[in-house]
Amino acid sequence: MKPNLDILVPACVREFEPYIPSKPDAELMKLYGCARLFRLNNNENPLGPPPAAQKVIRRFPPPKGAVYPSGDSYCLRREIAALHNIDTEQILVGNGANEVISFVIKAFCEKGDNIITADKTFAVYEWVATFSGIEARVIPLIREGFDDQAMLSAIDDHTKIIFVCNPNNPTGTYWSKQTLTDFLDAVDGKQIVVIDEAYFEFVEAEDFPNGMTLLDQYPNVVVFRTFSKMYGLAGLRIGYLAGDLNIVDMIRRTCVVYSVNGIAQEAACAALRDDTNHIQRTRDLIRESKEFLRAELSSLGLPLIVGEGNFIIARLPGSDTLAYRQLMREGVMIRPMTGFRYPNHIRITLAQMEAMEAFVGALKKILH
Amino acid sequence: MDADKMRTLTLGISARTTYLPVVTSFVESAAIVFGMKKDEYLRLGLATEEIFLYLSNFVCQGKPLEVQCFNGFYYTRVLFRFSAVELNLSGLNIASNIAPDREPDLDAMGLMIASRSVDHLNIVVEKNNRICLTITKEKAYPEPLEVLPLPQSTDKISTETPDAERLKIFATLTAQSHDLSQRPSFFTYPGKLVDMVASGEYSAIVALNQKKEVGGGIVFCYRTEKNVECFGPYCFAPEQEKIICETLLAACISSIARTKALGLLSLSGLPASIRSNFEALGSLRYSEEGKIPVDQFSFYRLLHEDPGFEVWSAGDLTDYLKREYSRLALAREIRTVQNMGETRSGASLFAAEVHRDRQAVTLRPLWPGDDFSANIERHIRFLRDDHFLNLYFELDLGIPWHAELIPLLMAQQFKPGIILPFAGKSDIVMFEYNNETKS
Repeated sequence: MKPNLDILVPACVREFEPYIPSKPDAELMKLYGCARLFRLNNNENPLGPPPAAQKVIRRFPPPKGAVYPSGDSYCLRREIAALHNIDTEQILVGNGANEVISFVIKAFCEKGDNIITADKTFAVYEWVATFSGIEARVIPLIREGFDDQAMLSAIDDHTKIIFVCNPNNPTGTYWSKQTLTDFLDAVDGKQIVVIDEAYFEFVEAEDFPNGMTLLDQYPNVVVFRTFSKMYGLAGLRIGYLAGDLNIVDMIRRTCVVYSVNGIAQEAACAALRDDTNHIQRTRDLIRESKEFLRAELSSLGLPLIVGEGNFIIARLPGSDTLAYRQLMREGVMIRPMTGFRYPNHIRITLAQMEAMEAFVGALKKILH
Repeated sequence: MDADKMRTLTLGISARTTYLPVVTSFVESAAIVFGMKKDEYLRLGLATEEIFLYLSNFVCQGKPLEVQCFNGFYYTRVLFRFSAVELNLSGLNIASNIAPDREPDLDAMGLMIASRSVDHLNIVVEKNNRICLTITKEKAYPEPLEVLPLPQSTDKISTETPDAERLKIFATLTAQSHDLSQRPSFFTYPGKLVDMVASGEYSAIVALNQKKEVGGGIVFCYRTEKNVECFGPYCFAPEQEKIICETLLAACISSIARTKALGLLSLSGLPASIRSNFEALGSLRYSEEGKIPVDQFSFYRLLHEDPGFEVWSAGDLTDYLKREYSRLALAREIRTVQNMGETRSGASLFAAEVHRDRQAVTLRPLWPGDDFSANIERHIRFLRDDHFLNLYFELDLGIPWHAELIPLLMAQQFKPGIILPFAGKSDIVMFEYNNETKS
C-alpha cells in the first residue's frame, strides 16, 4: 500500500514549489554551447576565500573527513565573539545563512503567526515561512528600499519576526543607523527583528549601521552574517546569527548540531584571522568594477539601481529571462530578476575586469 | 488541494451494468447541486450512462470503479477511475465513424454519443495502469444586454483584485472593445468569468482610475503546473494604453513570480506597447467566415532561468525545432524517435477542444494506436465537413510517442506553427492545418 501523501503531507508543504537550482556549470555550458562561463549570478567573491582560508582548505588532512566536526562550531564561535566583542553563547553557526533563517522561524513561529519582510528582497525568508505554514507579509519597497512605515503598519498580534535585509539584496539600498533605531524603537521589543547583514563587509557608506553594536540596546534584534560573500566560502556553506543571550538560547533549541562541516569551520576561522587585507582588496575590486559597469551601462541608456554590495541591477528594454539565455550563449551567467518581482531587470555580480568586459561585450551584442 | 476535496463527491462502485441507475442519478444529482441547468445535467447524465455501460461491458467488467463529480463552478466534471490492461476508446474520438448497421460498431456507439454530449474529454494514465477518463460539461451563461460607457482617462492608475460586479464590467468592456480574434470567447459571458475566478482556476486584476472606473484588466490561469496563460492585458482608455497595460502586467508577474510557474504565455495577443516584455513565439492563422484571415500572434516570457531539457522529434520537424530553439535561445537537446518496426496495437484517441463560436478545434493525442494516420485523416474530413475553419494539433515534445505523429501530420497538410515552451510535459508544438502564406 502506497502512503497517501495528501493526508501525510501538510498542505503548506504539498503546495510549495521546491526551488530548482541551476544545473552544474559543465551541464549549462554544454546546453548553451559556450566554451567558458563567467559566473555573475550569485554574488560570489571573484577573489575566492582569503589566502589563510585557502591554505586551510588545501591542507585539510583527508583522515579528518572521518571525524565529526565540533557540533556547535565551538572554536569558530569564540573567534566570532572576539571579533564583535560579544559572548560566545550569543552566537549560533549554521550551514549557510539559509539554515539560520530556518532556526529563527522554527523558534518563534507557529501556525497562525506571520512574518513581515519586503516583496523584493532575499526570497528565503518568504519561502521558509510559507512552507512552514506561516504567513509571509511582503511589503512593497519604497524608492527601492524597505518601507519602514508600511512594515510597522503591517504588524499585528500574530507578527513574530520582521526580516530586514540591510543592505538589501538585490537593490543595495540600506537603512541608516537613524532609520534602523527609529524602527526598533517603534517595534519596542514586541517582535523579533532580524537584520540580515550578508553584505555587511562590502558596505562603504559611513552612515551604515553595524547591527552587532545594537544587541545590547535592543535585545529583540538578531543579526545574520555569512561567510559566503566577502569571505568567499559559499561552497562550504557557513553562516551565523548573533543575538541576546536569552533569545539565542531559545533559537538554539531548534538548531541542528553537527550541521556545519569541519573544513568549513576551520576555513571560516582562518578567514577571520587572515591578515592579507582581503576585505580591502575585494572592496577595491568591487569599486572599480562598479564604476566601470555604471559608466558602460549608462552609456547604453539602461536605468540602473546601484547601491551597496557587490552587485548592481540594470533594467533592460526587454525580457530579463531572454537576456539570461542569450548571455549564457555568450558565456556569461547573470541573474534574471523576475523571480525577485523585478521583471526586465538583471542583477550582475561585480567581479574582475575581464568578466565585466566580457559581460558588457555580450550585452551590447544581444541588445543590438 | 484541500479546497478541491470539499468540491468533490466520490462514489466507489463495481463496474456492473445493474448499477447504472446509481451512477447516473449520482452524477445528475451532483450536477443539480452544482447549479447545472436541466439540459446540462441531462447531457452529462447521458454521457455518464454511455461511458459507464461501455466500461462495465468491455473494459473493467465487475472491477472497482471510482466515479467523482467535481464542482468547477462554471462546469461540472465527472472522473472515471479504473484499471485496464487493454483499452479501446476509439469511439470517444469526435470524428469516430461508427456505422449503426454494423454490430461491432454499436458497442462504441455509446462512446461517440458521450463525447458529443460534453464539452471536454480527457484521459490520463496514472500509476499502476490506472486510467482516469474525464468528461466536462460547462454551464451556459447569458450575454450582457447593455453597452457600457468607456472610462475616462485620469492621472492615477491603481490595480486591485476585482469583486464580482467590477469583474462583470471588465468582461463586458473587453467584449465590447475587442473582437473574437483578439480575446477568448469567455469574455462574452460576464457571469462565466465571475465563476471562473470564483473557482480559483483563474485570477483577474483590474486597473482602476481615480473615479474607480475599470480602465483595463488581465485574466490569468495555470495552463499546466509550470505555465501560466494570460488573457490581456486589455485597456479601455487608448491614450493610457501603455501605462495601464504595463501596470497590469507587472501586477500579474508579481503575483506569480514566486510560485510554481516557470513561464507566462499569451495566445490571444498583446497590445503592441508591451510586446517588448515578451518573446514572440510566432503566429497561427485564424479565419472567420466572410472575413480576411488574420495571423494571431503568440507571446511568451520565462519567469526564471531556463533549466534546459530534452525534447522528442521526428522527420522534418527537427530542422524547424533547431531553427526555432536557436531563435528563442532555448537550451534543448533534440532527440529523434525512429520507427524500428515495433508493434503498435489498438485504436488511437484524440481529444478535441471545440470552440464553435471561433470555428476552431484543437486536437491533442490522448492514446496511441496503430491507426494514427487514418484517425488524423478522419478528423480532418469530419471537422472540415462540419465547417471548422481553424484546425490545430498540439504535440507534447516531452512524450516520445507523440513524436510518431509528426511525419503523419505533416503528410496531411499540418504545418508547425508555434512552440509553446513548458506548456506540457515539456514544450508543446502547435501545428495548424493548411495554413496558407502568412501576411
